[in-house]
Amino acid sequence: MFQKRSKSILMAALVLVLALGGIATAQAPVTVEFWHSMTGSRLEVLNKVVADFNALDPTMQIEPVLVGTYEECLTRFRAAYQARQEPGIVQIYEVGTQTMHDSGMIIPAYQIPERLGETWDFGQYIRPIVQYYSKDGNLWSWPFASSTAMIYYNADHLRAAGLDPNKPPTTWEEMYEYGKKLVEAGVVKHALSYGWPDWMFENALSLHDLEYANMGNGRLGRPTEVSWPNEFTDELLDIWAKMAKDNVWIYGGAEYNANAAFQSGEITFLMQSTSSLDGILKTVGDSFEVRTTFLPRLANPKYARGNSLIGGNSLYVSNRVSDAELKVIFEFFKYLSRTDVSVYWHKNTGYFPATNAAVKALMDEGWFTQSPNHLTAFLQILSGKTDTNASAGMRMGPFAQSREWVRTALEKIANGEDPKAALKYSAEQVNALLAEYNEFFE
Amino acid sequence: MNRFPNHRILPYALVMPSIAVIAIFLIIPFGQAVYLSFHRVSPFGALRNVGWRNYVEMFASAEYLFSFRNTMIFSALVIGVGLTIALCIALLTTQKIRGAAFYQIAFIWTYAMSPIIAGVMWSLIFDPAIGIMARLIGSATGYSINYFTDPVAAFLLVTAASVWIMLGYNICFFVAGLQNVPHELKEAAWIDGATTWQTFWVVTFPMLSPTTAFLVFVNTVYAFFQSFGMIDVVTQGGPNRSTEFLIYKIYRDGFGRMQEGQAAAQSVFLFVLIAIVGAVQIYTSTKKSVYDR
Repeated sequence: MFQKRSKSILMAALVLVLALGGIATAQAPVTVEFWHSMTGSRLEVLNKVVADFNALDPTMQIEPVLVGTYEECLTRFRAAYQARQEPGIVQIYEVGTQTMHDSGMIIPAYQIPERLGETWDFGQYIRPIVQYYSKDGNLWSWPFASSTAMIYYNADHLRAAGLDPNKPPTTWEEMYEYGKKLVEAGVVKHALSYGWPDWMFENALSLHDLEYANMGNGRLGRPTEVSWPNEFTDELLDIWAKMAKDNVWIYGGAEYNANAAFQSGEITFLMQSTSSLDGILKTVGDSFEVRTTFLPRLANPKYARGNSLIGGNSLYVSNRVSDAELKVIFEFFKYLSRTDVSVYWHKNTGYFPATNAAVKALMDEGWFTQSPNHLTAFLQILSGKTDTNASAGMRMGPFAQSREWVRTALEKIANGEDPKAALKYSAEQVNALLAEYNEFFE
Repeated sequence: MNRFPNHRILPYALVMPSIAVIAIFLIIPFGQAVYLSFHRVSPFGALRNVGWRNYVEMFASAEYLFSFRNTMIFSALVIGVGLTIALCIALLTTQKIRGAAFYQIAFIWTYAMSPIIAGVMWSLIFDPAIGIMARLIGSATGYSINYFTDPVAAFLLVTAASVWIMLGYNICFFVAGLQNVPHELKEAAWIDGATTWQTFWVVTFPMLSPTTAFLVFVNTVYAFFQSFGMIDVVTQGGPNRSTEFLIYKIYRDGFGRMQEGQAAAQSVFLFVLIAIVGAVQIYTSTKKSVYDR
């Protein structure tokens, strides 16, 4: 009996030793985890890009993991880093830029080629993207899925209300007028909704070359207070409040909730990220004509022209990766910047083609004439200013919270409260958060 | 002193696994939360001791007090309205009517649905632009209901959805409780000339008190903790934080807003609060419940 048992233990031990030996001696591929937040139709596109990369070289593998929303992705990366469980690559939304710069958890993008003894030309990425993610002239995160906001509109609705679909509104005043006509004509119950309402507020500021926070919009140092409420936001929010009151604007939730209303023809205008373009086109199909145009401005000529904001996300690399892992990461990043990959990514998601070469390739093949909606946001951002802190986009530690407070103010305004008081209350909260964040650096 | 003659180690070894589980998953994290509640955590993980500041600021914060108030109203509604409706339906389905079993099952099965799915369903039904109920209410009353912006509408929506999702479970237990009320007692009351109403209040309701006490506790737990999934799907705490109940606020502060120290202080306070509520409920229910015939 005893002998039998000891024999079986011996066998088990033998099997274990052999198995471990097998693992150690096999030509193990280097696998790098890649945490991201690409949901919906973008998920398949991303998985295809990664699968194609993995097929190139079996020793270099990227493992994409969907970890939740942008916010969750940032939080989980940070928690994972502290527990030494972090992935090699993490996708972080533009809101997390300052936090990632301050984090001490990453290798700045520009240092990646240096560390591997290679070189890489960061001038090949389109200017507004580089500008957005650079610090002191160096790129800190790898450009990946960049977008901006634009107006989507239902051309059939405009025709039905006797409006010219070739002349969509260019100012907020016109937007109000158009919206009123559409509602009064009974074409729709509400004319306009936004995705990411807080981001639309940011875009309105930058579009008029106005800073969101002090310290050069947070690009020259950590900001201590936000610039709003001010004359401009008063003027803007008065129109928004008026639109809400007259059923022109319907508040559509925090992120992509408003898309459903646009796709089902319940509203005429949708202000949303360009990254929704392919999803919207696919869903709408032939049921109505989707067109796109630039974001509206205030008619008041005293405000300068700025630019719409870069949104979306970029890729950060953990500073704990080994050189072998970094090699894989760099190869993957180079792959993402390849013209054909960039083109594929743009065509299937609506995100910007990140490189100049990809833009040329798309133009040469006639893509922009074939699908002019893919050109709109691009023209908008390339024709705008890029040389002021206001137009380059703001940077702040508690950015996510600031957005939440702006959203709160907008919800109050949409619900009929006084715009000035609502925004002022939110500004006070954000200023307190800025002070709290800055305490960490005392 | 030897409580287990002839077995000095074995009994302790046997309880070790469960003690280990409790320690790893409850006691140690709780200790960490207490420790964290006296610190501020930077967005990159550095800790700074701030003494009682998190607690002081918590009770001074208008947002926290607002959340606290709303949580209390929410739980009162979920328990009060939810249990009342459940008891009424349970009474109806235990009457001698044709197809009573069918009705019982039809009312109970909603409990099989996950709160997330129920949340998605309710949010679609009341979606201001595409929801059928929002539209019906709009065309019937001219009032366009938008739970994205209207704090009261959002609060009521979440409350109604919560009452609805708990309804099946509550009915299930009330039906079981009602079936255990001995018929002789009711009959005796009738013979003594009690009306149906009197019979219910004097006989049935007291006999149901163990069930009621249990359901009050379960619904409290739902309102304080399990409502999380529903909130996350339907409102994410908005608009204007009207549905940011205590548990959801802890999640938002700790994870979304990266204020782990503040969130830890809140969770320690919530623990104390729930401990008190639980103790009071168990104390009163064991004292007042009529367990024996």
